[in-house]
Amino acid sequence: MIRFIVSRLARAVMTIFLVMTFSFIVLRLSGDPALIIMSPDAPPEAIAAFRKSWGLDDPIWLQYFHYFAAVLEGEMGRSMRDGRPALQIVGERIPTTLLLTLPALLLKVSIGIPSGVYAALHRNSRIDRLVMSFAVFGFTVPSFVLALVLVLVFSVWLGWLPTSGADSWRHAILPVVTLGLGGAAVLARFTRSAMLEILGQPYIRTASAKGLAWSAVVRAHALPNAAIPTITVLGFMVGSLLAGAVVVESVFAWPGVGRLLVVAVSNRDLAVVQVILLLVALTMVAANFMVDLAYGIFDPRIKQAAPGGAK
Amino acid sequence: MSKITRRTAIAGLASPFILPHSALAQVDNRPSIVIAVQKVSNSNTLDVLREGSNVGERIFFSSLWEGLIGRDWLNGLGKVPLLATEWRRIDDTTLELDLRKGVKFHNGDEMTAEDVAFSFGPDRMFGDTKPSANPKTLPYSERIPGLGAKEVPQEVFGVARRAWPNLVKVEIVDKYRVRFINGSPDVTLEGRISRYGSEIMNRRAFVEGGNYIEWARKPITTGPYKVAEFKPDQSLTYVAHDEYWGGRPPVKQIKFVEVPEVSTRVNGLFAGDFHFACDIPPDQIALIEKNPAFEVQGGTILNHRIMVFDKNYPVLADPRVRRAMTHSIDRQAIVDALWAGRTSVPQGLQWSYYDDMFISDWSVPAYDPKIAQDLLKAAGYKGEVIPYRLLNNYYTNQVQTAQAVVEMWKAVGLNVEIQMQENWSQIMERNQTRGVRDWSNSAPFNDPVSSIVSQHGPNGQQQQIGEWTNEEFNTLSNTLESSTDRAKRKEIFRRMLVISEREDPAYTVLHQNATYTAKRKSIKWKTAPAFAMDFRTGNFSL
Repeated sequence: MIRFIVSRLARAVMTIFLVMTFSFIVLRLSGDPALIIMSPDAPPEAIAAFRKSWGLDDPIWLQYFHYFAAVLEGEMGRSMRDGRPALQIVGERIPTTLLLTLPALLLKVSIGIPSGVYAALHRNSRIDRLVMSFAVFGFTVPSFVLALVLVLVFSVWLGWLPTSGADSWRHAILPVVTLGLGGAAVLARFTRSAMLEILGQPYIRTASAKGLAWSAVVRAHALPNAAIPTITVLGFMVGSLLAGAVVVESVFAWPGVGRLLVVAVSNRDLAVVQVILLLVALTMVAANFMVDLAYGIFDPRIKQAAPGGAK
Repeated sequence: MSKITRRTAIAGLASPFILPHSALAQVDNRPSIVIAVQKVSNSNTLDVLREGSNVGERIFFSSLWEGLIGRDWLNGLGKVPLLATEWRRIDDTTLELDLRKGVKFHNGDEMTAEDVAFSFGPDRMFGDTKPSANPKTLPYSERIPGLGAKEVPQEVFGVARRAWPNLVKVEIVDKYRVRFINGSPDVTLEGRISRYGSEIMNRRAFVEGGNYIEWARKPITTGPYKVAEFKPDQSLTYVAHDEYWGGRPPVKQIKFVEVPEVSTRVNGLFAGDFHFACDIPPDQIALIEKNPAFEVQGGTILNHRIMVFDKNYPVLADPRVRRAMTHSIDRQAIVDALWAGRTSVPQGLQWSYYDDMFISDWSVPAYDPKIAQDLLKAAGYKGEVIPYRLLNNYYTNQVQTAQAVVEMWKAVGLNVEIQMQENWSQIMERNQTRGVRDWSNSAPFNDPVSSIVSQHGPNGQQQQIGEWTNEEFNTLSNTLESSTDRAKRKEIFRRMLVISEREDPAYTVLHQNATYTAKRKSIKWKTAPAFAMDFRTGNFSL
């Protein structure tokens, strides 16, 4: 087990290093932050002063060296837009984003998994077709279209909810629903197909033939075995809790990490982008790690096969 | 109808003195408004010398920052007394101004000459930069001590020095009188005082406040509204400055909220979340005005959309090819088709508010495909590719305009190829593939120096990044900046237009830029021909 954890951690460190290196190179080579942040109309003297202040006139390898030397000392850099620590700027946005993504995740799970299971258990019924129609709709309609439709209906026509902003819990309803419905559709589809595959297995027939109640067969034999693909999808969803709402945050003017990422990338505000990418990479790596552990719980054969697993 | 008795009259007159402050506050029935904008501030600061953008103009003027000489926002943008009541020339390099008495800053301090001198001093504005015509600046001994931690960003000094290239100092004559002393003769001193970036700040708040960023998020100024809360990338809330010298502001609170999506701004307006929705593209105007409760106001602003040539690109080295490009653009068709006729084709790179410097018989090159074809033939153009670097709608209708113009060029035989780019540094990158690009030019004050010299002269961006230069034009630029002979200056300006727009085109003007604001019809408010939104007394009622 220790070998397993160490190898995963080593891979995580390598992943994070590569993410930060690639993003540094891509952001630095694809645009000069001085021209972007100072605007194209800024006087050349001001642009030159800006470049000098932020070390942008150094060769790129030297900038890279300075950046990583600072990161290793725990200094994640400052925003070139206003000089504040990048970690502080991103940290201020995380709770705002989680206010959307956590309830949305709950919505995805509470709608997607039960409806997927129900649809599989009632295959080819009207309810199955209804659930799958909604799933296809939720899966294929882009989130910005769904968001605009919801705003049109619930804000403009009915006047029940605000169109944008983050001033109260009412402002969160439409973005949470937008995020939740799309994710629920994905989960429903995966859960249904996983359940259908398991329900066709011989051991399900055997369990039924032994006289077990159908509910017990489903609960004890079908659900745990069908959980593996669903957990994989859930892992991705947990991993994208921080930056998975970029579009929805933009449409609803929700001041979270996603919107900050858009602004920081367009301004080539490297320190801020790097902090966000670092956190996203960490979340993703942690989520994958938890998914790997969960695999072992739901299917002990995976634990047996894993390096460092029980032998 | 109730009868007014002696007792009720006395009670009524005495009530303001008897009622507690909380009760008085309750009778403040001025409205609070919410304005949806695409961007509140690009720099995440409220410093006029750091946020030099159009969006800055909207939130700053005439709500927060005020200068000594202002602009008549609603009537032609001419110069008007603001924090100075009168001004006079002492000589060609010196301008004396009388300050308005009784002006209160947001912290209650009275504005005096010390604040003005500090606003134009080295600690705030110029750092160690030196005036180019008289290279000396205030020694450190004359500076305010204890400003080391303020760490004003160096680019602020760069912006300020470009706006005031030869200002030596602002001298205090007495508490209410100052003198601007320039290092060289300059007929544009009054204009420079009225320009964006020459506003007055409270010296005490700057010196005694925290670091630069804390100050720049809540500057203490004299405007009719003061900063209550600024959330970068989210919102900016102003509250009325009731001691404003120009009278009690008509709005209790103004909140600018950042809503990046056009559709969300429009939906928010319809749903009643916003009183105003800014940055409305022309194609949305008809949709909004279908609803009788709303209207779209706005129009041309002090900014022209232009196309810029790189004459180092081999095909464009021959001015006849560039001239052909300028003659093959049907500018009016662009205005009619893409702007629904809601803007206009200007008379070259100039604005009518230049007053006596405006050249009224000047115009952009005529749309004449025959002339264009003849010029191309004479230049021996054989259909070589001309690259056109383009951003994705940085300017309103930018891509559509580019596509239309490329087709117009194609019609006369020009082979122009659009190359989409992501940002300005890619657009300006100096290499062998830079041919044509888009830009826009403004005039921060009412003189050609503020535009044609500032943007295309020897120190302007176009020459600084190596796209274009012209010896005669550069000599004329220098003369235009320093000459005090107005008739001669006008002739110089005319010749500069001839060179840069006809003989050796540096750029070609397409159309005047415009901005549109949607609002509820019930709000009595008039837009300015600018990004600035005026919410002072007389221009707002609900």
